[in-house]
Amino acid sequence: MTWTTPYQSRFLRIDPQKGRFQVHRSAYADPAVFAEEKGRIFDRTWQVIGHESEVKAPGDFLRRDVAHRHLIFLRDRNGTVQAFFNTCPHRGAQICRERSGNRRTFACPYHGWVFRNSGELLNQNTQFGYGPEFNDDGRYNLQKVPRLESRAGFYFVNFDPAAVSLDEYLADAGERLDLFTYHSPAGIETVVGVHEYQIKANYKLLCENSYDGYHLESTHASYVEYMMTVNKGIDLSQIGGRAVSFGNGHACFELRIPTGRPLAQPLPYWGEEATREIEAKKADLYARVGPELGDLIANTNRNMIIFPNSVINDQQTILLRNIIPVAHNEMMVRAWAFGPVDESPLLRKVRIEGALSFLGPGGFATPDDVEMLELCQLGYENRDAEWNDISKGFHVGENSLRTVDPKYNNELQMRAYWTQWDKLMTGGQPQMQAVAAE
Amino acid sequence: MTAHETRLAVEDFVYREADLLDRWKLDEWLALWEPECTFEVAPTAEFDPETASPDSALFLIADDRFRLEQRIVRLKKDTAHIEFPHSVTRHLYGNVIIREDTAETVKAQVSFVVFRTKRSITNHYMGHSLYTLVRRPGGGFGIKSKRAILDLEGLVPQGKVSILL
Repeated sequence: MTWTTPYQSRFLRIDPQKGRFQVHRSAYADPAVFAEEKGRIFDRTWQVIGHESEVKAPGDFLRRDVAHRHLIFLRDRNGTVQAFFNTCPHRGAQICRERSGNRRTFACPYHGWVFRNSGELLNQNTQFGYGPEFNDDGRYNLQKVPRLESRAGFYFVNFDPAAVSLDEYLADAGERLDLFTYHSPAGIETVVGVHEYQIKANYKLLCENSYDGYHLESTHASYVEYMMTVNKGIDLSQIGGRAVSFGNGHACFELRIPTGRPLAQPLPYWGEEATREIEAKKADLYARVGPELGDLIANTNRNMIIFPNSVINDQQTILLRNIIPVAHNEMMVRAWAFGPVDESPLLRKVRIEGALSFLGPGGFATPDDVEMLELCQLGYENRDAEWNDISKGFHVGENSLRTVDPKYNNELQMRAYWTQWDKLMTGGQPQMQAVAAE
Repeated sequence: MTAHETRLAVEDFVYREADLLDRWKLDEWLALWEPECTFEVAPTAEFDPETASPDSALFLIADDRFRLEQRIVRLKKDTAHIEFPHSVTRHLYGNVIIREDTAETVKAQVSFVVFRTKRSITNHYMGHSLYTLVRRPGGGFGIKSKRAILDLEGLVPQGKVSILL
């Protein structure tokens, strides 16, 4: 499966000999393409909904939106994590209106139908009008999302009953998720609070941006200068790193960058006590998992996309971003953070500081990303200028879906994304299959 | 000072603060702050924004003096892309309520609506700020802490907090 000969679809124009990999801007800017994506992408792929630590006790529930669906994510009376459509089986009203809480039952506000948190219809708030066999097959219970599976504590949903398992879907990216299970023997938990923000741009622009190593020095010049002030002696030219394409469109960049991690790279300005704690945690980690895995966990920052819209950043904090498409030119972002359950208040503070200074919508970097994405979307209104370029590092023989690029700041990550996206949207790429058969 | 005089003094102070922000006189605005201070912006969703600590909950902004200075340094650069060119803002501060009044400090609650216009699109940020003001020798105040609490579940449609509230 390698790009060896020219390929053209509705969306991609690829010429390996000339080192060109282009994406047609209708993929970001055409409402008809957006409508088509609903069925071909979002009804078929796995999307993150939350983490097990967010519904710790039976009855804990969260109202959660994923692409084009409004869901209730909860732990039911039996301790099982479930995802239901937030829609009454009677006449369709949303039954759950609170953002979060703990409930044994849910009552629809419209006619008063009551459901257990495990989904069963308890009563219809009336003495008459329904026979005893009305719900004998459970058709009036809360409707479950067809597929809900987890990996390393992270729950994903899929609306296609016939979809491959989450583990198969994640391919080699699953092993990167597993790394979080080693952060602490006590596990990781969500940090209180969430960043929710709207961007007037196509959701794929933020997917690309989330693991784009190439834009750091231009888009984030002012953040880099801030980091240099905070952390004297940092040398950007010494950043080592690579991009990895894991299969099925998932990819990441992995950086060795001295910007600090609570596990396990202390910065002098965090203070001596933090340094002592972090060194102890590092020693404990290496004792538990060995030097090779320990090094990958302790010394590497990672920005990863689980195709098509789940972002997992492993940096000064662990940050999960669900990028929710709203319209061809509008997305909602839900970003929330994680840390070890047994983390000290000092290191938790350090962790949150990292989430705020760089990644948040009030930070020194993310707002500039938002500006770039909105400028791109505005640029695409010039429909006469048709093509985006993601050729950096492209060469004859690249298998964009599963390979490693020793440079983190080429554009392999985006080619992995778009190769998979094009495959789902067009069913094309015949020459890739032909090469694979050889 | 009578309670009435304290409220008038706080109103004068925050009106001047709002004016400096609307004129993008950021160094003059920074001069209103005490040498040790905190500037915070909290969302309302998922925790009590008046009592929560940014050390354990995810705020939108939680600056100490150093990071507040760096925020100003950044906003003055043309590489702070989100604010290049600078947006046009109008800070309306009002409904001033004095919560605590001592010889050294005054705690006040101030409602705000801030309009931000860029590329012909206007967004507004609304909420209330909790101030701790230090009485300065010779009159006037210095800001010891300011926590702006947005009346918003998420930044929809604002998308970011790139201006000062």
